Amino acid sequence: MPERSFSDEVAARTSRRGFLDRVGRILLGATGVGAVAAAVPAGDADAFHFCGHTYTTGSCPHPTGLPRVDAHGLPLRAGDGKRVDDLGRVVNREGRPVDGQGRLLRDPDGRPLPPAPRTAVCAGVAREYGMHTQVDGSWYRCCGGFVRRLMDCCSYNSRRINGDSALTGYCYSGRKVFCVHYYQTKVPC
Amino acid sequence: MLTAALTLAGFLAGLTGTWSPCGFSMVDSLGRGSREGRPAVTLASCAAFGVGALGGAAALYGALAAVGSLLGAHGGHPAAVGAFAVAAAAALAELRGVRIRPQIRRQVPEPWRRAMPLPLAGALYGVLLGLGFTTFVFTLSVVALAAISLALGDIGLGLAVGVAFGAGRALPVVALAPAVRTAWGGRAMELMAERPLVLRGFRAADGLALAAAAVALGTGPAWGSRQVASPASDPSVSDGLIAFDDGRGGVLVGGGHEARLPGGDPALGSHYVAWLGANRIVVFDRSAGRVQVTLAVRGVNAVAVSRRWVAWRARTRRGERISAARLPSGRGGRRIRSIRGPGRLGAPDLDGNRLAYSVAGHRGSKIAVVNLRTHRRRTAARSRIRQLLSPSLRGSRLLYVAIGRCGQQLRLHRGRRTRVLLRGRPLGRTDAGFDRGHTPQGSGTGRCPRRFRITRTMLWTTALGRRYAYVTLLRPASGRGVARIVRVRR
Repeated sequence: MPERSFSDEVAARTSRRGFLDRVGRILLGATGVGAVAAAVPAGDADAFHFCGHTYTTGSCPHPTGLPRVDAHGLPLRAGDGKRVDDLGRVVNREGRPVDGQGRLLRDPDGRPLPPAPRTAVCAGVAREYGMHTQVDGSWYRCCGGFVRRLMDCCSYNSRRINGDSALTGYCYSGRKVFCVHYYQTKVPC
Repeated sequence: MLTAALTLAGFLAGLTGTWSPCGFSMVDSLGRGSREGRPAVTLASCAAFGVGALGGAAALYGALAAVGSLLGAHGGHPAAVGAFAVAAAAALAELRGVRIRPQIRRQVPEPWRRAMPLPLAGALYGVLLGLGFTTFVFTLSVVALAAISLALGDIGLGLAVGVAFGAGRALPVVALAPAVRTAWGGRAMELMAERPLVLRGFRAADGLALAAAAVALGTGPAWGSRQVASPASDPSVSDGLIAFDDGRGGVLVGGGHEARLPGGDPALGSHYVAWLGANRIVVFDRSAGRVQVTLAVRGVNAVAVSRRWVAWRARTRRGERISAARLPSGRGGRRIRSIRGPGRLGAPDLDGNRLAYSVAGHRGSKIAVVNLRTHRRRTAARSRIRQLLSPSLRGSRLLYVAIGRCGQQLRLHRGRRTRVLLRGRPLGRTDAGFDRGHTPQGSGTGRCPRRFRITRTMLWTTALGRRYAYVTLLRPASGRGVARIVRVRR
């Protein structure tokens, strides 16, 4: 039996204190339900041209299409996560072109092919479009069973890669989103 | 494949030409000897007709190719695009059996067969039919092949097409005329005359051959190129000679002769030819017919030679190094450039006192030219986006390979002007640019966003001759890559 006095019961039903108590409980309940309601559909985030991305800003130019990068922003092939150089060739850890089994590709003399640059995708945007870019903030969503980091490549350009007005997105200090790319983690979700 | 497809198209076009009024007339006219019990006359007439047809057709297509060459077509990219368009359009028209318009409504002179000895008349008829455009044409291939020969401007290819066309024109006449009175000869003529489907079938075959030519033109690793040798890599040219490595060692080709050299990776320059042995370089004086100098160089894997210098690339403990020494003494060797890591330093090339080489790495690539006499060094080309490889020098011209995300180019650089001699597809494929089940909006950004048609063949080492530019087409592999050499007019 709860230790609650008769006077407390009366006050709870009739007084201003009781009213505030009821309002507080209702608000708390509503907030909790809302939070639960918002959290429930966060399975796979299926929005615009790739999973996890919201709104319409286009992909950053990437050697193999879908703008997948590694933790350092360097390009990966979206389908299998293999490293690719700026020419779109699959390369090893040292940046040397390799075949499907990871063996070095060689010329007729047996010398390995020369490496090509492998540029961070957002830095490549700066080079291609002649402006300063940087990755500011990001957001994580669940895609394909793994947590995906959605990264904006930000610049002070008022136009985005699509050609129309840029948005603030996850950019700071007056920068706006020029294009988007993502990093697929190995964290299951 | 292009030569094979065009030659086949020429032969089939010649065969289809038999359905013309002149074709039928030839079978009938040259068969007169057989009908009159003089088969030798028919055989002689057929032989003369065949010679005439071959000569006329070779003259026509060879001349068109020569005109194309003079006009500067040289099988360059625009010409190859034009040839591709003609081949594709004609193939489609042939496959659909489009009526030939405007039709050439002319025939060979009928009185010749009465006024002249039959073999002489046969030879002249052969020339006229071989020339193709002088009489009725029942296939668009005749016109298409003429346009392609003109566009590509390759005289050898034009002659091959012409000979094939002439052979196609002659073969049915030569086969049927002596047998015109036999049962099978009669049936064959009846079949040709009364079954339109047979002609339709031949036209479809013409169309397929032209389609194959269009595919060869459109999908070749380098448009408008001609194969020089296969397997072969690392060309070097001088004085009308070409040297290369065919995987078994060095080969020297020139003046219709081919000689195997006693070493690999040969290089030509002035009156010298140099080759590599085990950890040594041999410089041979072609004019004197003796070895000029032999240099012991550990790990040497490429050599270049000019009148005054020999240069080489050698493996070192940490990477690779390019060095040069004076000729004819072979002394005064000095280091030009060292670099860490194998495969980043391109093979050297020499022209007089100037040495060119490429350096490729993670930060980009460049082509450097060093004057060995003055020690002056300059960067002739540099890129952080494209991979610049394999330079060749000749006078004021610099030939090199540029590989980018959008494709490959063989570039000829002179002063501020750069011409693209050959183009190849990109090496890396793209995906769709958007996830399955998502909208494509926002995908496909950048300079060459969607590259679904790629090649595994990359432009590799180069050589620059007086008339032609040579390039190795390399298919890299995990063991040793497979390569061949093609040339293109510069």
